[in-house]
Amino acid sequence: MSRQPIRFRDIARLSDEPLVTLDADDLLPLPALTDPRPLTPPRPRWRDTYDFSLDGYSDLDIPMPKTPEEQERLVRGFLTGLEKLLDPENNWTFNKLFRLSLDYCMRCQTCSEACHVYLGSGRQEIYRPTYRSEILRRIYQRYFTPAGKLIGPLLGADVEVNFKTVWRLLELSYRCNLCRRCAQVCPAGIDNALIAREIRKLFSQELGIAPTELLRKGTRQHLQAGSSTGMNQAAFKNSVEFLEETIEERTGRKIAIPVDKKGADILLIHNAGEFLSWPENPAAFAILLDAAGINWTLSSEALGYDAVNYAVWFDDVELARIALRHVKIARDLGVKKIVVGECGHAHKALCVIADRVLPGDLSLSEMPRESCLPLLWDIVRSGAIRFDPSRNDFPITLHDSCNVVRLMGIVQPQREIIKAVCAQPLREMAPHGVHNYCCGGGSGFAIMDTLNFSEWRNAVSARMKVKQILEAFGDVLDPGVRKYVIAACSNCKGTLREAINYYDLWEKHGIWYGGLAELIVNAMADLPGPYLTWNEEM
Amino acid sequence: MALHWFAIIFAWASVVIFFAVAVYRVVKISSMPLGLRWEVYPIPHEARAKREYGGSYMEETDWAKAHKRRSFWAEVVEFLAPEAIEIGTEIATMKKVRGHNRYGIWAFSTLLHWGIYLFVLWTLLLIIGGVAGGGALASIAGVLGPVACVVGLAGAIGLIVRRATVPDLARYTAPIDYFNLAFLAAIFVFGLISTLADPALAGHRAYFAGVVRFQPAAAAWSVIVTFLLFWAFVIYMPFSKLLHYVIKYFLYHQGLWDDAFKAKGSAADKRITEQLGYRVTWQGPHIVPGKTWLEEAQTSAVEGGKK
Repeated sequence: MSRQPIRFRDIARLSDEPLVTLDADDLLPLPALTDPRPLTPPRPRWRDTYDFSLDGYSDLDIPMPKTPEEQERLVRGFLTGLEKLLDPENNWTFNKLFRLSLDYCMRCQTCSEACHVYLGSGRQEIYRPTYRSEILRRIYQRYFTPAGKLIGPLLGADVEVNFKTVWRLLELSYRCNLCRRCAQVCPAGIDNALIAREIRKLFSQELGIAPTELLRKGTRQHLQAGSSTGMNQAAFKNSVEFLEETIEERTGRKIAIPVDKKGADILLIHNAGEFLSWPENPAAFAILLDAAGINWTLSSEALGYDAVNYAVWFDDVELARIALRHVKIARDLGVKKIVVGECGHAHKALCVIADRVLPGDLSLSEMPRESCLPLLWDIVRSGAIRFDPSRNDFPITLHDSCNVVRLMGIVQPQREIIKAVCAQPLREMAPHGVHNYCCGGGSGFAIMDTLNFSEWRNAVSARMKVKQILEAFGDVLDPGVRKYVIAACSNCKGTLREAINYYDLWEKHGIWYGGLAELIVNAMADLPGPYLTWNEEM
Repeated sequence: MALHWFAIIFAWASVVIFFAVAVYRVVKISSMPLGLRWEVYPIPHEARAKREYGGSYMEETDWAKAHKRRSFWAEVVEFLAPEAIEIGTEIATMKKVRGHNRYGIWAFSTLLHWGIYLFVLWTLLLIIGGVAGGGALASIAGVLGPVACVVGLAGAIGLIVRRATVPDLARYTAPIDYFNLAFLAAIFVFGLISTLADPALAGHRAYFAGVVRFQPAAAAWSVIVTFLLFWAFVIYMPFSKLLHYVIKYFLYHQGLWDDAFKAKGSAADKRITEQLGYRVTWQGPHIVPGKTWLEEAQTSAVEGGKK
């Protein structure tokens, strides 16, 4: 099929046919994987209810508006929402950056080559960072600026808003991982990823529309049940007991994991998904903090045991609600600071973005919020625990979570740790650090599995990361050599888990993945045996 | 003579309009709300060792306690100077375009920008020459003018051609973008003609002497046309996205490089407190009508989530 030429006004096409149809042969070639897995069209029964008219994929299990009244309501809601995005009071949180990014893009396309989705797709036009921005920009000029109303054609303000435009734009806002590599390379400082986020926000805050996993089963469930996983307080306490038993079985150590300990130095908050999918990770934290003699605690309060804040990807109101609860729980416990476990977006949400939606007494100066990585490095270098790097004698590469590196500048602690606890030198991906590529699961994609979206994530958005991993292990691809991809982020791990399955990387190349804390514990000299379980359940 | 008078009045008017509109825009942007932190690393004002690889103060434990208020001079030297150097380097070399743009526009874009910088410098030399007479500066101006025009024209034409012939650029290039480039090309073309017609620049200096002293002087038509176009461009600039070199400050310093955390009682805290008092008018089913942002944040048990 190759690259398909698209005009901006095609977004308004009143047809259910996709603007582009992806073909596996056109996607970014992967080293050592010569047989492209074919892409499957959406199931016919879905087509009657849901919309696949962007690229044949969707995560939105929301029926399309059918009647003219419903369609008109959608269009009106979209335009009202856009007006609110442009208003300084309604959108005080991002108004400045959003307006300036709309007004001052020089359309040089420098950002395109920075985008792993665009490159992974074989440079399909609709995935270019500027494509969705340019559509919104043209709508904004045509409907909201005097110049656009007067001389619209001269400005290129030629996109008509109908219900198809609105729906495709909604879908398109979920084809960007918000990794912001495009913003990093823009010579003018324009943030096209922010524009994607603000489109999502418009739909959520004005129309209540967002992927089910993010809003209804995400932030709503988080605020109502205590965790986006649905885990309630009783289930959390059971998980802690399970961790204690597992630690004893695996290490012979009897550790009482502190819960709701008043006045502890540290409140550690994990992504609750860790307790369910990767319990070896919170268990490893417990082993390390216990061995280092740190005064810490977990919280059993609703929200206090789940650090996630999905709203950071699409809704400022929900962002503020969740962050406020997190910080209040820490304050009520009387801890000195919050430390966020291995979850990238929770790092960014709690340590950085949420600071300016909280009132003064919950400011960072009053309740510090930090990454777990500097703490882990402090523990490793303190000498409190004896390490034997030969226990980690296998090829290792490090996937940098965008939220932790590019968006927080935490780059070195994890590398120092790896140097201290691994026998083999770290195989850096190219590029890495703040210039890394997203895993492809950023901004919620890791947990979005409705309809056929997961195929798109595996085949397109995770593709560049798979390429980097295969290249990092290029000389040791023999499946007999076990290799470990470190991902100190729950959502990155979720994406890698699915990608490893999709591309069969364990069977074909012996490539597995896991967190950093468990790798550190695996190197503890005093443990009776290995801690890592590779692809076996803990 | 009427044209000469017009050329003088237009020059002054353009400068006044430029500054009035640019200042208005800057004030308007400055008065926009303080947004959430949304930085991207590397950030130039981080400590030198961290700046090299894009690290931040958040790589340390207990960074909030260790944070100290900077003195005014420390703020200038450690904070603003590295940012100015980074932005200046980008403006001078367009290194991001060179490093990441695959459409062959770096050379032309750099030529165009340097053409503009040199043309402005040339204009300043002509003003000084008009007031103070010839001398060494006149010789420099004699070379600078044609160089600026040739360099800028090459850049403008190159960009027009690239934008028109590379499909990935053409798709995104609106008529207004061609107009902007053609406008600049026209200035450079007439600038070149004027310097060929008046290589010693006596007529150019006479025109600027007239502008400064408000006394019309005889100048060749090419000089008048060149600078009428230039002044028109000066007026046009702040109304267009060509003001991006000013806006860059806000996008970087107050956006991509804004890594300041909030301390209770600080100026930022006071602004945020005020903004948390704004009423939320969004209509989503999970949003409670009529509440302020702070009240919304304190409300969690709201039904809804999808219409």
